Amino acid sequence: MSETTFMGVERNKIDWKPTIDYTKCDYCMECTKFCPHKVFEVHENEEIRLIVRNPNNCVVFCRACSKICGPDALSFPDKNATTLRIKEIRKEENNA
Amino acid sequence: MLENYAILPCNGLDKCAGVISAEIAKKLCENAENELICPVFYRVADTKYNKIASEHQLLVIDGCPTRCASKLAAEKNLKISQKIVITEEAKNHQIELTGSLTLMENENALIEIIMNGLNKAEEKPTQVLEETTVSYNFDYETFQNGKFIFRVPKNPEIYYNENDCWAYVVGNRARIGVTDFVQQNLSDILYFTPPEIGDEIDQFGEVGDIESSKALVALISPVSGKVVATNEMLVQKPEMINENPYELGWVAEIELSDFESDKELLIGFDKYFELMKKKVEGSNG
Repeated sequence: MSETTFMGVERNKIDWKPTIDYTKCDYCMECTKFCPHKVFEVHENEEIRLIVRNPNNCVVFCRACSKICGPDALSFPDKNATTLRIKEIRKEENNA
Repeated sequence: MLENYAILPCNGLDKCAGVISAEIAKKLCENAENELICPVFYRVADTKYNKIASEHQLLVIDGCPTRCASKLAAEKNLKISQKIVITEEAKNHQIELTGSLTLMENENALIEIIMNGLNKAEEKPTQVLEETTVSYNFDYETFQNGKFIFRVPKNPEIYYNENDCWAYVVGNRARIGVTDFVQQNLSDILYFTPPEIGDEIDQFGEVGDIESSKALVALISPVSGKVVATNEMLVQKPEMINENPYELGWVAEIELSDFESDKELLIGFDKYFELMKKKVEGSNG
């Protein structure tokens, strides 16, 4: 399930998604098993075996996958900057 | 001193944090009133350990966020009384783990800090500051999907964020918690990690974790401010969030710092109820 807007702002205008640090990731794939929103995709036969396939499915402000990541390989944007940006976009759209 | 506990370590022998977890478990079990649960043997023969777990409070020591020991406890339907995660403790105490499977200076320093913390926590009285006496007169709307019933309070003093958390605002304070959508999705809640009293929380910051056998979720605060109380009963009875996430299952009380600004990104009952219905229908499809 993915929402197309968050707080009235189109989801694809909000930069909120996990970033994989491939120097830490050990491809345990716990994140893919955990995330019900299909944000990640496994590519078993490729050198990079895990990618962020659907960034806009990621629930804004959710960081649950990073909490269950053993090697601490997942990071997210700054929450306060994202909050401010959402407020700015709302203001811009209200004034348009 | 930590006493009369069953200790379930992660015992990840190929990882530094796992070795630390096992070492702390062994040290705690030097006290004859504590009992060690071997996670490897528990998987193949559980009679002995089920008995131990039923007679003691349970301390789970996870090495890393993969939470193997917590997951084992959930599989065995054990109620967790206390939990620590070694890598988180290392971060909190700014100790860099060497990665060695032999305990070095840094690892031993961390073990000592954790042991002291566990023993002191047992002696520390429960801290509840300035908790407001709140009487609830919530008026609920319900939505049924299959066998699941979702309730949402309609009162205008209750605000929601799109992360399925609520804030009941009275004066300059708010009680916060999760909605029925979260508790139904998690199923049986087994463990609650409260925020620290005195923590300053930003809007959309995390105020505690809730864990079931299915998942771990962080409560994402609808409001900004200072944590002035937490629901201590949830530590012993996290299942109260399943029973009633809006009243007995409240999570924390926040002294509001900028509610007028926070309100801009909150919604009321009407919008949240519609959003929740869409989420429920979407999660079926």
